[in-house]
Amino acid sequence: MIKHPLYIKAACAISPQHSFGDTPVLDPVVPSEGNRFVAVDVDYRAFINPVAIRRMSRLLKMSISAAMKCLQNAGVSMPDAIITGTGRGSAGDMQHFLKDMIMMKEEALNPTFFIQSTYNAPNGWIALQSKSTGYNQTFVHRGISLELALLDAQLLLTETGDNQNILIGSYDETTADYFVVKEKLNYWKKETVASEHLYQNNETLGTIAGEGAAFFVVSGEKEGATCSIESLEIIHQPAPTMIRNKVHEVLAANGLTTDDIDVVLCGRSGDVRFEAWYNVLEDFTTQTIAGFKHLCGEYETTSGFALWLAHHIFSQASVPESTILQKGDRKEIRHVLIINHFILDTVSITLLRG
Amino acid sequence: MIIFAAHVFLSFMEDLKTTLKQQIIESLNLQGMKPEDIDDNAPLFGDGLGLDSIDSLELMVLLERNYGIKIEDAREGRKVLGSVQTMAEYIQQHRTV
Repeated sequence: MIKHPLYIKAACAISPQHSFGDTPVLDPVVPSEGNRFVAVDVDYRAFINPVAIRRMSRLLKMSISAAMKCLQNAGVSMPDAIITGTGRGSAGDMQHFLKDMIMMKEEALNPTFFIQSTYNAPNGWIALQSKSTGYNQTFVHRGISLELALLDAQLLLTETGDNQNILIGSYDETTADYFVVKEKLNYWKKETVASEHLYQNNETLGTIAGEGAAFFVVSGEKEGATCSIESLEIIHQPAPTMIRNKVHEVLAANGLTTDDIDVVLCGRSGDVRFEAWYNVLEDFTTQTIAGFKHLCGEYETTSGFALWLAHHIFSQASVPESTILQKGDRKEIRHVLIINHFILDTVSITLLRG
Repeated sequence: MIIFAAHVFLSFMEDLKTTLKQQIIESLNLQGMKPEDIDDNAPLFGDGLGLDSIDSLELMVLLERNYGIKIEDAREGRKVLGSVQTMAEYIQQHRTV
């Protein structure tokens, strides 16, 4: 539970959509291919030292570029702290390294894959690039990794004072090996589904795989902020009624009711196992309900894309057409509620104020 | 006969250096670079190709994987990794595969 608002000053995301840059475009939508989304590459060389970039994995390039662009957007050259969340970190480099260990019988292993296979490799590179020697932490907790990074940022601001600029981010990549392994565990749909029809295909197991990196500059000070995170709750493997109760509890704790919410961003993924987790949406009949997993796919830190989308909605004062599942009647956007889940795991509820 | 042997040796060394350059480009992911862009005698570190300490580890791995050469002595390693020419000469003398 966040007891002190986290003010978001800037946001940046690299995703399967054209979300990067000064004018993000979510219409028209980039569709998935074969139940898998791949992030749109950007000009990484504009943000990363050319000598260093040649040995970087895609995940490193994505996360560093998103982080540096976010700092640029916020007008912050050196953050006071860097806190990130990731479900799998540098999975690609780790897989290279483990495959090498088997093939080479644990001899003559490439140092680069080893060095960069750690979960917090992006944090280290971002710190080097931005010359930040402050607090640096990476949270690795499956579907609530970014959420824990946000809670840690709130604790840090409580300890150090509101005027700190904290760079918060999330990153995950879907490698070919990961896709194959998780396919066997029914993470992805057996039948090929067009991403634009994801929500209509909600009677079978699985969803569409995705990936992305999202970064935010947050502070305890309101000045220059687009929106603030007022509440953040995490529920582990909940019953549907628990989610409904928790949503109302969060709203009541902030002096709000469902009527005060203007937009709900829901993490529905078309997976029949989790549709009931979103029964609470029945309580939002006049609000705009928007989906985002038909844009970014499923991965541990989709909350990063959702948070970026919320920031985008506040800054544009409108909800992108391509995300709308139910059109609401609100003229102004003051409160956005994000309800998200990760496969078989956790649900998070985030309340934002514009 | 001696002239023929010298010719064969020189040709072998040229092939080895070209192969080695290709392996260096692939191993270090030197994007946009071709074997002919690397001078045989230019230093690999510092002013030449501008490689760094992690690259030196990658080159050690390259020698071990492709030529069965293990360099244990750091001072010897610095000499061997001086240029493509010094690497090729060392490979020619010490290769086990």
